[in-house]
Amino acid sequence: MIHLVFLGKFGDVAPAGLAKIALPAGVHTLGDLQHWLGQREPLLGQAMSATRTRLIVNQCVAHDLSQPVADGDEIAFLPPMSGG
Amino acid sequence: MQVRVTADAFDPQAEIAAFAAGRDDAGALVSFVGICRAKSGDVAVEELRIDHYPGFSEKEIARLAEESARRFDCPDLLVVHRVGVIHPGEAIVLVAALSTHRANAFKAVETLMDTLKTDAPLWKKESGPQGARWIEPRAEDRARRAKAEEGLR
Repeated sequence: MIHLVFLGKFGDVAPAGLAKIALPAGVHTLGDLQHWLGQREPLLGQAMSATRTRLIVNQCVAHDLSQPVADGDEIAFLPPMSGG
Repeated sequence: MQVRVTADAFDPQAEIAAFAAGRDDAGALVSFVGICRAKSGDVAVEELRIDHYPGFSEKEIARLAEESARRFDCPDLLVVHRVGVIHPGEAIVLVAALSTHRANAFKAVETLMDTLKTDAPLWKKESGPQGARWIEPRAEDRARRAKAEEGLR
């Protein structure tokens, strides 16, 4: 299973059922996962492609979409931050 | 260094008093309190919701606070930040700095607020009679952040 966290405006369009899912077949990297999400949830895909999206894997900033995704990972999708 | 992200309302005066209690090593205490406005420009605000990413948001805010404390040689800094649903008039954020002299305490608080305004992993949604909208940093916030960054190098 992988854990997905959608912050800010992404949380408005991400179904609750995505919080914990089995690692989808064919998803090996963050790029694969983002593509899979966009295909499955077009509204979420549109929201993520319309803005700068940062990915955080297990609480660490991901700098490269080729980074592998493994079972047990927690991956957060961050839209631009509002700040404090 | 004390950083707290909380869904509960807090009393800034009580927080400042507890932070400064017994600190006779510092000759200056400067604080800033950000308050939820009832209006954003011309738009009425009934409620502000702040999302955070538990663990990550606290870690990033602590990192920004440490940068400011180190740069301005402040022995102690306090950050309290609300998340969840906030109503107009309630405190959103408190930043306080203790320092030997006032100049560094003023600068530490100002710089930390400038960096928090753009870099803190928080997401704000304002709601009112005209609907709801997610907030992103204003051009003015980005300009102040760029100025703060120059000094951090």
